[in-house]
Parts: sequence; structure tokens; C-alpha cells
Amino acid sequence: MNDFISIASQPSVSAAVQFMILLPLLAGLALFCIPEKLRLYKGLITLVVSILTAYQAVIVYGTENLVLCLPGLPGTTQGSELINDACRYITFNLDKLSELVLIFISLFAFLIILYSLIYMREGKVRNYYAYFLITLGCSYGAVLSDNLLLFLIFWGLLGLTLYKLIHGHDEESSATAKKTLILIGASDSIMIIGIALIWRITGSLSISGVSVPTTNILTIIAFLALLTGSFTKAGAFPFHTWVPDYAKDAPASSSAYMPASLDKLLGIYFLARITMNIFELSDGLRLLLLSVGVISIISAVMMALIQHNYKRLLGFHAVSQVGYMILGFGLGSMIGIAAGLFHMVNNAIYKSGLFLSAGCVGYRTGKDEIEDLGGLSKMMPVTFITSLIFAMSISGVPPFNGFASKWMIYQGIIEFGSGAGAANKLWILWLALAVLGSALTLASFIKFIGGIFLSRRKTEFENVKEVPALMWLPLAVLALLCILFGVFATKVVVPRLFMPVSGTFEFPGFWDSSFVSLLVIISLALGFLIYAALNLKKFRREDSFIGGEKMQEQAAYPTPEFYKTFTEFRLLSVIYKKAEEKWFDIYDLSKRFVLWTSHLLSETHAGLLPGYVVWACAGIIIMLMIMI
Amino acid sequence: MNPLIPLFVIIPLAGAFLIMIIGKFLSGFGRYFTSAILLSLVVFSIYSLFTGSGTLSLYKVGGWEPVNRIPIGIYMVMDGFTVIVLCIINIIGFLSAFYSISYIKRYTSENFYYALFCLMTAGMNGVVLSGDLFNIFVFMEISVIAAYALVAFGVEKNELEATFKYQVLGCLASFMILIGIGFIYWKAKTLNIADIKEVLSSGYDRTYYLVVQILILSGFGLKAAIIPFHAWLPDAHSSAPSPISAMLSGVLIKAVGIYVIIRLFFNMFELSENMSVLITTLGALSMVIGVFLAIGQWDIKRLLAYHSISQMGYVVLSVGAGMILVAQGEKPEIATLAIAGGIFHLVNHAVFKGLLFLNAGAIEYTIGTRDLKEMGGLAKQMPATSATSFIASMSISGIPPFNGFFSKLIIIIACVMAKFYLLAALAVLVSIITLASFLKFQRYAFYNKTDRGREKTIKEVPFPMLFSMVIMSLLCVLLSLLAIPDIRDTILGPAIDILMDPVKYSTQIIGI
Repeated sequence: MNDFISIASQPSVSAAVQFMILLPLLAGLALFCIPEKLRLYKGLITLVVSILTAYQAVIVYGTENLVLCLPGLPGTTQGSELINDACRYITFNLDKLSELVLIFISLFAFLIILYSLIYMREGKVRNYYAYFLITLGCSYGAVLSDNLLLFLIFWGLLGLTLYKLIHGHDEESSATAKKTLILIGASDSIMIIGIALIWRITGSLSISGVSVPTTNILTIIAFLALLTGSFTKAGAFPFHTWVPDYAKDAPASSSAYMPASLDKLLGIYFLARITMNIFELSDGLRLLLLSVGVISIISAVMMALIQHNYKRLLGFHAVSQVGYMILGFGLGSMIGIAAGLFHMVNNAIYKSGLFLSAGCVGYRTGKDEIEDLGGLSKMMPVTFITSLIFAMSISGVPPFNGFASKWMIYQGIIEFGSGAGAANKLWILWLALAVLGSALTLASFIKFIGGIFLSRRKTEFENVKEVPALMWLPLAVLALLCILFGVFATKVVVPRLFMPVSGTFEFPGFWDSSFVSLLVIISLALGFLIYAALNLKKFRREDSFIGGEKMQEQAAYPTPEFYKTFTEFRLLSVIYKKAEEKWFDIYDLSKRFVLWTSHLLSETHAGLLPGYVVWACAGIIIMLMIMI
Repeated sequence: MNPLIPLFVIIPLAGAFLIMIIGKFLSGFGRYFTSAILLSLVVFSIYSLFTGSGTLSLYKVGGWEPVNRIPIGIYMVMDGFTVIVLCIINIIGFLSAFYSISYIKRYTSENFYYALFCLMTAGMNGVVLSGDLFNIFVFMEISVIAAYALVAFGVEKNELEATFKYQVLGCLASFMILIGIGFIYWKAKTLNIADIKEVLSSGYDRTYYLVVQILILSGFGLKAAIIPFHAWLPDAHSSAPSPISAMLSGVLIKAVGIYVIIRLFFNMFELSENMSVLITTLGALSMVIGVFLAIGQWDIKRLLAYHSISQMGYVVLSVGAGMILVAQGEKPEIATLAIAGGIFHLVNHAVFKGLLFLNAGAIEYTIGTRDLKEMGGLAKQMPATSATSFIASMSISGIPPFNGFFSKLIIIIACVMAKFYLLAALAVLVSIITLASFLKFQRYAFYNKTDRGREKTIKEVPFPMLFSMVIMSLLCVLLSLLAIPDIRDTILGPAIDILMDPVKYSTQIIGI
């Protein structure tokens, strides 16, 4: 991929790279020393740091591909003797992909910190800002690292901060925190094997310098080990199970920051690295990626349909959307990669937006369940409109950005179908399931919007007010991005941002996002004209349409009730029941196995001394028998 | 002649007597005196670490010079490996002793405690410094008998039962070791390690020495609690007062178990591939079975004790993998890496396991229980304990940037490089389960709901306890620096050199 790697020590770029990684880390460590009472000032410091690093990210954007190695300790001109050798491990890689991801990391960090200033005023999480900054520094570090071991260190630290950004104050949230770190930490440990295998096979640890064909069993294991890390971070099937729980129990700003934006960016960034740079994929592995992609899409969206807790619903969608990105990278074509990256960015935009608006709703009402809410659209207009935009984006409604990237993925799949491999022959399956997933997403977001903002208003919410400007401003920016990225997708956004990474390609078929948007606007305008031209006083009031269900005598129809139909299909009901019992959760399955083994072994340790002596003697005798 | 060497034994030994005598008249003397003498030993050991720069130095007790290059006196030897173990013994010893200042106030007869503490330290220092088998045995008995008494220090039903088991199995171990030493003396006519190496190098009876090796391995394996000789450890380590648990788990099983096994198998016996495979297998078994036993525990100290078995498994596995490579005579650089990983993990384990036991002690000190189910929400009332135990838990589970991550990383990479894929996979699996069980500890102790009735009464522990915990957690972070190749070579390099080279140890001693 990188044709012109230059081991250069460009002073300005090198300084910017060090600055971006070290400043947030050091500032984060310093924030531990400031007492929690001065929380607002900690927030402001964090804001300043995020602006400074964002500025650096903008500066390095557009530099040529280069690999930097640090000459000695940062800050000193000459490395001391002891540290010289370590510099072989501290190498950074700047290319189009990392520059792209850096920009978006900075953007999300800035918007979410702005939101947190008000949202986290109560101090729900101790040392929130310190962990926030450490996360930021580590994300930059992970994206910039060229050495796999250095990458692993930053990557592992991110799991730690994720654990600390959740407030374990009761049974459920502590269990979630534990589950999250176990899954993330387990995947990091598995990645060590992959990295060690790469080191053994190629003798190099450089991301930009190796290219491993996946032909024998060892390289395939190495690939799968690294894939596990990427999937767990991004939250793809079957390692996704921490995401919905985290979304439910963590503060909304934490969920928006890590699982919704940064973890997605990083997980997919690493997926891009391993599929594009480190490994050359074989046909079988492509088939695997595509299958995992569609399974993620469908299984998660089916689970999202039956959720009652709106944050958990968003968590399942965070998993489902990853499926599309994996599809894009599974295709491996230029349009596939560009679509995968585009969808990654789009998803981060609308998903963090959704989490933040969920946070706004929670902030004003204190309710978690969709049943308990309703009719907030009039009280919280900005939140409502931005949520609507995000919901339409995620469901793939033109002209918003979610449609643009999904459309590119569909185009990629159709193009992929002309190939000869086994995976190519199944293109119609991938396409059908991807489109189905999109439709189901729309279905579940009607519940989200309808249940929270529309439907009948409860009396207890009469006095709910719109959130403060600092909280809705990030939402507005994200919503604007949703529209801009959707409308100008084909003309500006994809060619400028994503084609440098994937390579230049022509869009197959006739599709121009601006033109499509124009058509949408024209049709809306026409509709309005017709509505205005006819007598607008002449309409009738009807009771709410309830999807063809039988009207019953109950006074209120909580929106989630409509979705019960899904759970009542015969086959689905069995699957849903097993899913509730956590039969598909890799965490719970392995937990059961481990505890069962543990129980079995502890049975033998009854505390009887004669038994212990017999073991020791038996041990010696067996050793003697084997050896002699 | 290095005059510092005998001080490591003499100072604590004399300290133990002084405490008993002066402590009679001056209450509280032992309390501060123990910390003071251990602090001086810390200074000496760190001084030796940085000035010795890998050379081997000797102290011939009584000045008995060798006759015809055959050593006749008692030799005390300090080389690269010794000095590392000395550092951890004395640093952990000092911090535990300092911690005890507050912790042990609850018990009666403090003087006995501190005297035994000094004796135990003297014994451990003696074991690692001894250049001959008999003194290793004697010093081992000194430290272990002091440990028997310290385990029973609470004199309750549980403690007495635990110490009884410990003594019975400990005697079995001593018996096997003594028989093994006797067998060696019978054939080799000498007890000096370097001299035995010289004798063995001119040919020996393989089967005879195989039996000896197995006797020695099982004897010291019992002291090191390698499966299947581990059964005494969970009882003994969980019943002792917490600073003693920290010493037992953090240091004792290493100094009188792992250290001796490594020293004898590398520097005295000729490495054979079969024996190395056996040792590696035992290590892998301990690692896997230990962790499965640990995760089911609800008593914090039992949980920690079982993890000691598992973590010692890592050390044995890694060093054993290095042994196999050395025995095969292939890939010396990978063997170096494996042994470095093992020793690095040994040092790390001393620090984080010591810290975890001190944390457990702090929790027991404030709320009076070791049962995880009865705790909850302690993070708010005990922020420092919570933070330090979090660091220690993350270290032992191998999460960056703490020391445990780097040693496990080196171990796993070395296993993969040496093509021991199964071992690498097991190491990863065990690391994951370790993480799970320590997050269980974090969750039930520091997260979850606070017990309302208790909320007001809980306070952070007093300064001496805090100080020890904070220093150890700093060490957990700082030891990560050993992962940097050049620093690793400077500190661990001499130890690895002396172990890797089959004749360096003996020729240097005989030659001096």
C-alpha cells in the first residue's frame, strides 16, 4: 500500500505526533491530582487539550505517507544509551487512513467534551475527565503506532479506560463493567498470539512493512487472533455482547464517546489495517468476513426490535451497523473499502448523536424505559429534530448520510457478484440480508422516535424543558454533518476524504447524491404545495393507527407493545427465549464452562490432609515412573 | 571477598535476638527496629544490584581457602540472579514490616512476630546466598519454621489447622530434599554446588542422578507449591496475618522454591531435555489448574493464594521452555527471552501479589471480613486501597501499562517463537481467566452497593499501611520499564547469562 515509505524525521510532523499522544496522556495524569470539587475546571482543561490536539490533527492531515521513529526520549535531543534500543519499537505511521481517523477522533472528542461539561456536572463517574483524556491520547497513539507492540499497549489501555468510564454503583452496572473489561481484555490477550505469530513468520513488527499471505494454518490463526481484537473493540458478532449492556448502564456521554464513536473508529481502523496492509486475504476468509457481517446485522437488529430500554436499543444498533462496515471490508474492492470507511464515519456521527440525545432525554426525565416516556417533541424540539435526523440516517433514508454509505455498500456487493469465488456467487444473499437489516433498523427506530417523542404525553412531563445550549449544540453539529455528508456524498465527501485511502474508483451506475437530494426536496416541496393549494382546514382527527392490531380497551398503547408480535412467531419465540437466557452470549457461555470446571476441581480440595499427602507421593511416583 | 554478603544473613539474625531481649524492656522496639534493619538491607541489595554489574562475588566463611581447587569452607555466592531475588526479598520484606506497624497492633506478643519475621528474612537471604546444598537446606528450614509459626500467629482453629497441614507437607518436602542431598553427597563426595558441577562434568550415572533430580524437584516443588504439591498453600497463605501472607506468597515460595530449582537445574545438574519437559509440564499444569481453582473462591485471600500457584506456573513454564531450548542447544536468543520472561514475571509477581495481600489485609482490617459477598462499595470510603488494588489486579491480569502485561507478553512471545504453540495458547487462556477472577474481586469489593449500616464507620487505613501499598503500586508501574530491551539487559542480563552458560557459575567460583 505504501509505496514511498521514508524513514524521515520531519521535525514538524514528528513534533505534532508526539504532542498529540503525550499532551492528553500527561494532562490526564495531571487531572488525577485536582480534587473532584473543581470538576468544571477539569472539564475546561480537557476542552482546551482536545482543541489543541485537534489542531495538530488538522496540521498533519494531508502529509505524505511516512514512517517516523523517535530519536530517543521525547523532549530530549539525544536518546540516552538505555533507551536507544527501545526506539526500534517506538515507530509511528502516518498515512491517509490514520490521518482520516485522527480527524474524526478529534471531532468526536471535542463535541462530547462540550456535552459532558453540563451532563457530567453531577460527577457520576470519578475522574471522568482524566480517563477521558487518557482515552483520547491512547486513541491517537493506537492510530499512529506503526509497531504492533506499541499499538497493543495503547489498545489495551483503551479497555482499561472503558472500564473506568462506567460508574459501578449497583449490581447491574458493576456486572456490566466487569463483563466489558473481561471481553476486551480477553481479546487483547488473544491479539498477543497473533502479533507474536506475525513476528515469528515475518521477523518484523511494522504494520506498514509486512504483508502476510493467509495460506497456511499459522497465518490464518494470526489473522483470526487480530480479527478477534478488532471485532471485540468494534462490537461485532460474536464478541459484541458487551456493547448493549454498556450502552444501558454507562452514562450517555461515555457510551457516545467509546462504544459509539472511538471504539468503532479504532476497531474498524484496525480491521482496515489487517485486511488491507498486514494480511492478504484468501477467498475463504472473505467468505468468513461477509458471513460475520450479515450475521451481525441481522442478529443485532432482531434483538434491538424487542428492547424496551432505549439505551440498550441503541447499543444493539451499534452492533448491527458494524456488520455493514465488515461487509465493506469483506468485499475488498476499492468501493467496498471506501464504503466501509464512509459507513464507519457516518455511523460514528449518528450513533454518538443518538446516544447524546438519549442522554438529553435521560437528563431531563430520568427515565430509561420507552414505556415510561412519550410526547416529548413539543418540550424538547431541538433534541427531537436532531434525533429524527439521526434516526433517519441510521435507517438509510435518503438524502442522509446513512443512505449514502449503505448505497455504496450495496453497489459494492453487486459489483462483487461478478467475481468467480464462492463468496462472490452468494452476492444476492449478502445484498438481501443487508437490505433487510436496513428495513428492520427503520422499524425499530420508529419505536424509538415514536415512543419517546411522539405518542401521547404523560402528565408528569408537562414541565420538562429543552436541555441547555451546550448540550444541544453538539447534537446540532452532528445532525448538520449527517445532512452534509449525505447530500454531498458523491461529489465532495467520498472523493476528498475516502478515495485517497481506498484508491480512486468510478461509482457504478447512475447515482449522484446531490441530485437525489434535490429530487427528495422537490418532491417534499411538491407535496407541501399540494397540501397548501388544497383547503388545509379540511382534515379529520382519527385515533392512532396501531399497525393493524386489534383495538383493545386499554387507555394507553405503549409503543413497544407493537413489537411483541415479533416475539410471538413460533421459531423466533424460541430463539428470543434462549437469547434472554443468554445462550448466545459468548461471555456467559464461557463463564458457565469455567465455573463448572472450577467447581469440579474444588470438589477434590476438601481440606483432608491424608489426601494431600497421597497426591504429593503419587506425584513423585508418577514422575519416577515416567522418567525411568 | 565481598564483605556485604554475610550482612544479609547476620543483620536480620542478630535483629531477631535483639528484638526478643530489648523488646522485653522497651515496648514498641521491635516494631520500628524491624523496619529499620530491613530498610538497611534494601539499601544494601539495591547497592549490590547497581554496583555488582553482573560479576560474581564470593564470601568464604571463616576464610577457608580451597585446597587443590576443591572448596572446603562454606561459600556464600552473590551473582546476577541472586541479587535480583535478594532485592525482592528485602523490598517486599521492608514494606510488609512497615505495614505491620499498624496491622499487627491487634495481636498480642508483637515481639514474637517481629523476631520471627526477622528470622524468616534471614533464612530466605541465606538460601539465595548459599553456595552449597547443605546451607541451602539449613537456611530453608530456618525460614520455613519461622513461617510455620507465623501462619499460626492468630492461634485460632483455622490457623492451627492450616499450619499443621503446612508442617506435615513441609516436612515431607524437607525429607525428600535431605534424601536427595544425601544421595548427591554419597556419590559426589561434596556439597558445594560449583564443586558438584565439576564432579558431574567428568561423567555420572544417569539413572541415579535422575532419581536425585526428581527428589530435589519434588522437594522444592512442594515448597514452591507446584501442582501436584500445592495443597498446603491455600490454607497456609490465607490463614496467616496479611503482611505475612504477602511475604509467603510474594517471596517465600520463590526464594526457597523456584529460586533453588532454577539454580540447581541450570548450574548444578546437566540440563536434560526430558527433565526440562517435565518441569515445563508441571508449570503448565500449575498455571491452568491453579487459575481454575482460584476463580471459584469467595474468600479473597484464598483466591489470591490459588493465583499464586497459577502465577508460579507461568514462571516455571517460561523458565522450563528456556531449559528445553538450552538442552536442545538451539536458538539461544529465544531461550534468553524465555528465561528473561520467567525471571521478570517472578519479580513482578512478588510485587503485585504482595500488594494484593496487603490490600486484602486493609479490607479485613477495616471491615473485618474476607468474604467477598459481604463487601461492596468500598471504593468511596477507601479510595487509596481501591486504587492500589486496582493497579495490582490489572498487573496480575496482564493489562497494559502495568508490569504483569509485559512479562506475560514476553512469555507468550517466547513460547510462540520457540514454536510451543500449545503453551502460548494456555498462557493466554489463563491470563483471561485471571482477569475474570480479579474483576470479580474488584466488583464485589469496591463496586456494587455499599452496605448502608456500615457506610459511616469505614475509614481509610492508617499511614504505614497506606505507605506500603502506595509504594508497591508505584513499583507495579515502574517495573514495566524492565520491558525496554536495554534496561532488561542491564538488570536481568547478568542473571540470564549465569543461568544460560552451563559452566560459568562453577568455573568462576572454583577459579576465585
